[in-house]
This record gives sequence, structure tokens and C-alpha cells, in this order.
Amino acid sequence: MTALDMRRRLRTVGSGLFFVAMLIVGLLVLLPIIIIVLTAFKPVAEVNAFPPSLLPSDWTLDNFTRIFTELPFARLILNSFVFAGGVTLCALVFDSLAAYVLARIDFKGSRVLLLIIVASLMIPFQATLIPIYQLVADFGWVNTFWGLIIPRAADAFGIFFLRQFFLSLPRDLDNAARIDGASEFRIFRSVVLPNAVPALLTLGIYTFVNNWNDLLWPLVFTTKQEMGTITSGLTLLTGPSGIVPYGVMMAGSLIAVVPLAIMFLFVQRRFIESVASTGLK
Amino acid sequence: MTASDTRPARRYRPPGQLGGRGPIGGQAKRRLTIAGFLLPALAILVLFVFWPMLSALRLSFTDASGFGQEEFIGLDNYVEVFSDPNILRAMGNTVLYTVMFTPLAVILALVLAMALNSPRLPLRGMFRTWLFLPFIVSLAVAAFAWQYLLDPQVGLVNYWLQTFGIRIGNVLQDPVLAMPTVVVVAVWKNFAFYMIVFLAGLQDIPSSLYEAAKMDGAGPWSRFRNITLPLLNNTTGFVLIIATIAALQAFDQIYVMTGGGPYRSTQTVVMQIYQSGFKDLELGFASALSYVLLVATLILSLVQFFFTGRREKDTA
Amino acid sequence: MKKLLAATALLAVAGLGLAACSSSDSGDTAGGPVTLTFWHGYTEADGDVLQGIVDDFNASQSEVTIEPEVKTWAVIDDTLLTALSADEGPDIVAMPAERLPVYASKGAFRDLTDFYASDDSNTAELNPQAVDMETVDGTVYGVPTGFVPLAVYYNKALFAAAGVTEFPTTWDEWVAAAEKLTVDENGDGTPEQYGMVLPDHATVANGVWPSLFYGNGGDIVEDGTTAVIDSPENAETLEYWSDAVATKKISPTGVDGVGADELFSSGKVAMTIGGPWMSSIAAENSIDYGIAAIPAGPAEQAASAIGVSMGITAQAGDAEAAAAETFFSYFFEPEVATAWSLGSGWPPLRTDIPAADVESNPTVAALTEISGTSRALLPGVVNSSDVLTEMDVVTQKALAGDDIASLLKDAQTAIQTTLDDQ
Repeated sequence: MTALDMRRRLRTVGSGLFFVAMLIVGLLVLLPIIIIVLTAFKPVAEVNAFPPSLLPSDWTLDNFTRIFTELPFARLILNSFVFAGGVTLCALVFDSLAAYVLARIDFKGSRVLLLIIVASLMIPFQATLIPIYQLVADFGWVNTFWGLIIPRAADAFGIFFLRQFFLSLPRDLDNAARIDGASEFRIFRSVVLPNAVPALLTLGIYTFVNNWNDLLWPLVFTTKQEMGTITSGLTLLTGPSGIVPYGVMMAGSLIAVVPLAIMFLFVQRRFIESVASTGLK
Repeated sequence: MTASDTRPARRYRPPGQLGGRGPIGGQAKRRLTIAGFLLPALAILVLFVFWPMLSALRLSFTDASGFGQEEFIGLDNYVEVFSDPNILRAMGNTVLYTVMFTPLAVILALVLAMALNSPRLPLRGMFRTWLFLPFIVSLAVAAFAWQYLLDPQVGLVNYWLQTFGIRIGNVLQDPVLAMPTVVVVAVWKNFAFYMIVFLAGLQDIPSSLYEAAKMDGAGPWSRFRNITLPLLNNTTGFVLIIATIAALQAFDQIYVMTGGGPYRSTQTVVMQIYQSGFKDLELGFASALSYVLLVATLILSLVQFFFTGRREKDTA
Repeated sequence: MKKLLAATALLAVAGLGLAACSSSDSGDTAGGPVTLTFWHGYTEADGDVLQGIVDDFNASQSEVTIEPEVKTWAVIDDTLLTALSADEGPDIVAMPAERLPVYASKGAFRDLTDFYASDDSNTAELNPQAVDMETVDGTVYGVPTGFVPLAVYYNKALFAAAGVTEFPTTWDEWVAAAEKLTVDENGDGTPEQYGMVLPDHATVANGVWPSLFYGNGGDIVEDGTTAVIDSPENAETLEYWSDAVATKKISPTGVDGVGADELFSSGKVAMTIGGPWMSSIAAENSIDYGIAAIPAGPAEQAASAIGVSMGITAQAGDAEAAAAETFFSYFFEPEVATAWSLGSGWPPLRTDIPAADVESNPTVAALTEISGTSRALLPGVVNSSDVLTEMDVVTQKALAGDDIASLLKDAQTAIQTTLDDQ
């Protein structure tokens, strides 16, 4: 056996071990999710049964049909899309504009402004919820999509996140464009944004997921059931004394999570592509 | 052509200096441009973030309940924050939580991001989606699954540990183990986002740097220390700050899984803010406590900023 | 970027459209019929019955229209404050009774003293214990929509298997029966089946431990102002039950109220202390169950009550308040009260409804029989949630084996501080 063979073999063994290790980590991470999936297919009586079983003894779709009969499910999903999608689109546009200025243009007060923006992340939302609500009510936006979306149409986290990313893009690019006489908006749009696709996708996913899953916000800003989101709608299934019909709950959240998973699958492919393409610039 | 051909190895130039004042022209136009970029975001932030924060600051000097009448009571709320033993206990719990959560989540995220970035890992795309799943599941649902897993009678975790002769019992009702448990759930729920951020940072590091280091005979640890860490500095600083902020505001999974118990052992500052504001209807007091938290977080973040900033200089 | 902007615009338009079709009616024209929003948390079959009552009321006259909005009790508690802060809340809101005082003390509810005083309010025959829950500092701020004693729900099949034929009537008998019903087949010290489940925190309507304290002549707060938890009676109670759990292993430890309900529904425990909804939960899980009063303690037979109250919020104007009172009077008419009781599974709120009228619902009949033992939980205590947290600390630590005397002493101080604060 030559030394080269040896090294190659070690490499494959190493890769194999690495793969197995990741598989184990992945399974551990996945365990709670497996439970969610299996519970969704269990009949009501079996969820709390003792002794418990991991697999449903009797696979059923009852939990899924109950969701559709007890909740205006289609409407709730639509609302979730409008709310989470609206917030995400607005925030991506507004945050990236502000982050561009904070990262790429030196102006008086920019550091102070950044500090204030970051500091605003440090107050728990429970403290500002009521003042925000009063404002939204003053605008007459309770029970409207405006009330759900506009207060979140720009957010400090997104600005901070994108600013950090924009900082790391090489400056030669925009300086070259600047010397060519390009306007700031043009540099932003044609130089910085195309290179920031991974960051925009990451932030987009983050914002979308957080709003999609947010519970208190839609509960507070909408009092009518037909304006609720899927996440807030599921709370209605909780029984008196706080007993949760877990099977139905899991079924509902499984349906709710599918769009997110598909979105991430799509995005993570784009993510790799875009990162690969930045090598060419 | 690889990235390293066009990019300088060290790209973390301090902001400013080069930007702006170029050939674009007059100050007025420049100001207008800056204002135009900032306006939409700032309008929203001023209305729905800064103004509510100021309102909360004003409320912190009153006995407001949220509706009805309120009276100015000076610093009374702040005095109470620092004299109520339950509040002090909650602060201690929050510190404990942060000390456990932040390093655990950040290190796990970095390690897994490096694994996911390694070309030697087959099926990387699948693993990325897979490991990201906890982040997209809603917490209420995840908390159920965890409670099911941890259940002293029927849970798998107890069952498995028992085969190794370990009995942990009812961890969520154990005054010592409840806190680590809610930390583990939070790490599980949140590491994926930090991991993705690290991944984006890692993918920006040109592989030619590693190849060059390898030629010079640098081992994996030395490559990690001398290339990965310094070049990830911006990313790490960011992740550290957001992880710390998230930890200091721990609420969701505690609310769902332990409600702050047993015996207030998982009662965090934000749990207390919620309790004071929304249960006892003492919004003024809750606001005061929020501002104490804000100042504490700010100080901590500035310290972190200072340290990561210093490291940046050292490694440059 | 262009695509993003276009998509944003499209979404905004879509949002507008959706919003427009859902926010149409809200204006209440002066002089015309009054429309009242009514938040409640009756999400089960009881919700349908309530909706029926509201529909009948709306149809019975043309002055007032009630529009219920169903949420869970937890959601009402989490969102009411915010809604009230901007006058966007409901006109009528129902909530767990122990939550009413804190809202009332902050001025969230209208004073109902005059309503109770008027002859046609139908409130004269209401259970006085239930009205007690609505009173803060001598003023009534609400009306009861539910008042039921905690009761023991037991699994008949397990009772038969263990040969227990009589339901126990005293604490000693209760523990003895529970011991008989506890099964540790493999002898590992952890029973596979427990005789009962005694939750040690966040118990059903927070009432399990108060019930036991009352049973031995103890209490937690007197007159809404004085902490009395540190008493020899309560110390005895805690010692008695922590000993029963620790040495006789009759109950799993560290369980909360929801966990207790779940254990009972899984058939793993023979007895649980619960509310009327246990009937439907047991039925759903095909458990043949019986209902019995909580066995008498050494001093008396008493049970803490689960209460639900509804009140008129301060944001309702005079016209709305008058309209709401019309609805309350309707709600307490004997036939309506009977229908509500039968439909919800809770005993009638009026004391003058003959037992025969509610016989058709066995749960109601059984609960009505024992409703004489019920007592309101912490009536008039504004910061009840803080008091209950302290109580949970005591019971949880006592069952874990901590020193009971010092636990009670600490709780006494903490509760008194809370009461003085309010």
C-alpha cells in the first residue's frame, strides 16, 4: 500500500466518520420534531396514553380534518402569508436602505444613530407593547393588516444585521462606481444589493419565520377571528383549564410549518448559488 | 477566478474615511441622499420604536396600570426594583441563564456552521435544511415536544438515561435542573439562526487562504485560530451581541414550560416584567424594570463591543 | 429590488382589500340599537350554549345586540389590558373570578351596586358565595357566570379492580383508599398506577390546596387584607399530605393542574381533583367516571370554587352599560340560568332552581348536590396572582420535604407584604 493510498483511505474513513457524527447530531436535533409529526397522526386517546408509544398504533387523519372543521383554516393561512410576507418585504426594503447609509456613507451622527438603533433592541417588547398599541389604535388600525404590518415595516435588528454585512463587502466596488459618477441609489441597487443576496435571504427567512410564528402580536392587534393568523388561531383549540388537544395542535402546526420548510429549502439553494457567484465579481 | 484574486485578504476597514465626500457634489445633495435612504426606516422606528420607548420611560416614573389614571411617583418604581428580593432573584436568574445560554449557543452554532461549510461533508444541502428545522417550528409546539421527551414517566430522555443508570426525574420541576433545561430548549430553538449567520460569514473566507496555510504546515487548530476566527470577527461580534440580547430577554419557552417555577427558580427579569405589567397591572413598575434591563444590556454590549474591537486590532 | 418593491406594493393593495372586507360594522349610532362586544373564553360545548343564549337575547328585543368574541381565558388575560389601554376593549368581558379584583381595583370595571339593588336584575337569588367573588372593598364589579366547587373525579374501573366500593368521606379514608389504589407491580418503588394525583403547584383553578386548608380549619387570607397562612392548622395539613405522598406514595410528585387532568385521562391515576370539564375529558378518553365531594377534613367539608365572572368595562358608556345590564338580567332569568347550567355542565347560579330541573345532566346534578361546600377563592384580594405564587412555593417545597414551619413563616411575610402593597 503506498502512502498515497493510505492517505486517501484515511480520508474516506474520516469523511465517513464525519458524516456519521453529523447524522447523530442531526437526529438528536430532529427528535422533538419527530415527536411532533408522530403525535399529529395519533388518535386523541393515544396522545396521553400510558404506557406511551412513539409510533401511533392507529394512524389517523382525524386531527387534520378537525383543524379544517373547527377553524377557518384557509383564511388564517392567507392572513399569515399577508402578515409575515408583508412585514418581510417592507423590512427588507427599508432596512437595507438604512443599513446601506449606516455602513457605507460616513456622516456626522451615524455612530450615535447606530447606537440608538441597537439600544432599542435591548428593551423587552412587553414594555413597549402598550404604547405601540395605543398608537395603532389612534391610527384606527386595530383589526387591519396595516396595524399588523406597519409597526414592523422596519426594524432595528434588520438594520443592524445588514449593516454588519454591508461593512464586510469590499469598498473598492462602490468607490469605482462613485468615480464613474454613479448615484448612491445606483451603487446601492446595482453594486451592493446583488452582492448581499445571502444576507438578504437570511434576514428574510428570519423575519418571515418570526412573524409567522408570532403569537402575542396577532392576538393583541386583531380581536376578530377572521383577522387572526394560523399561530394565533391554534390557541383557540386549548380547552378549559388549559388542556391542549395535542394531536390537533401538532397537526395544525405541521401544516403551518410546511410553507416555511419549503421556503427554506428553496432559499438555502439560492443561498449557496449566490455565495458561489460572489466569487466571480 | 477565485475571490481571493480580487479581494484583499483583510477587508475589515473601519467604516468611513473613504465614503461620501467624493465627486458627487454639494453637501446639500449629499445630505438629501442620506436622508432619503434613512427616511422610510427612521419614520417607522421613530413612531413605533423610539416613541413607545419614550412613553415607557415616562410611565416608569408613574404608577400607571395601562388604562385609567396615573400619578407621577418619581423614582419609587426604581427603588422597588432594587429592594424587592423577588426582583433581585429574577436578575440573578437572568444572569445565570445568559451565562449558560450565550456561550453554549454560539459555540454550537460555530462548530456546526464549520461542519456544514466543509466540502468533505456529503449531502450538505440536506443537513442545512435539517438543522434549520428547529428554528422554523413555533415555540409553543416545540415546548410540547420537549415536555413529552422530558416527562419523568413516559419521556424518552429519562428512559435512555436510565439505561446508563442516570435518574434525572422531573427536570422541569427540579429547582436546580429546571434552569439548565430551559436553556437547552432555547439553545435547540435558536442555534440554527446563529449557525446560518456564521455560515454566511464562513463562505466569505476565501479557501485559498486555508490552502496557503496548509502549505506552510499549519494544522487545523492553527488554521482555525489564525484564519477562521480573525476573519469571522465581525460575524462573531454580531452573533455574540444578538445572542446576549436574546438571553437577557428570555421569556417564551420559560412561560410555556415552567411559568417561572419551581419556586421562582426560572423566573427571569422579562418573566417578571410580564407578571408585573400584565398580571398585576403595574405597568409603571414593569416599565422601570424594563429600563433597568435595557441599561444593563447596554453596558454589557458596550463591554463586548470594546473587547471584540480590541481583538480586531490585535489580529490585524 | 424592483421586484421587491412591486411585490410590496401588491401586498399592500391585497392587505387593503382584505382589511376592507373585514372591518365594516362598528359604528353605534346614537339613539339606535346598541351593539356590545362580549369577550369570553367558553370554547367548548359551553360556548355553543352561550352563543344560543346570546342569539335568543338578541332576537328577544331590538334595543341591544351582543356580539361575542370567543378567545381562551389565557388570551383574554394577555390581551385585555392592551385593548383597554386604547379604549379598544370589549364592553362586556368574562374572566376567571380571581382575576376580576385586580382589574376592578385599577378601574377597569363599572360599579354594579345599583344594578344589584334593582328588583328586576334577577340577582337576589344568586348564590351569595358567588357574588362574594365579585366584591372588592365592598363594591360589586361583576356578575358570576360560573361557580362550582372542586370535586373528586374517580375512575370506576380502577375502583372496582382494587375492590374499593365506598367513596371515602374523611381524609383518613381517602388516603387509605388511595393507598389501595396505588399499584407498584414491579416493586421498583415507582408505582405504575397511583391512587390519586395531588398537584403541588398551579393546581386546578388554584383551588386544591385552599380546599385542603379549609378542611382542617385553616385559610390563606382573611377579609382580603390579612394573611393567615401561617397557622398550626395549615402546618398540620401540609404535614399530613406531604407524609401521605412521601411515605405511602399515593400520588406522583411535581405535577401541576393540567398534568393532573392528563394523568387522570390516561387512566394512570384513580382520583383527581378537578372541574366540570373533567366529565367530557373522561368521556373522550372512554373512562367510566364518578363524581364525589372532596372528603371532609378534620374540621369541615369544604371545597374551593372555580369561578368565572363577567363585568362591564369602564370604556362602555352609560347607554352601553344599561344595555349590558339588560343582558345580565336576561342571563339570570330562571329558565335561562337553568339552560346555561345544563348546557355548560356547571351548577345553576341561582339557589332557587329545584334539583329536579337539572337532573337531566348527571354532572350538574352531582355538582349541585355538593355545591353547599363551596367557597370563593381569595375574594376581594387584588394581587391574587402573587398570593397564589407564594402558596405554590409553600406546597411545592413542603411536598419536596422542606421544613414546613419556616415555609409558612416566609409565605406569611410575603403574602402580607403583597396585601399591604395593593
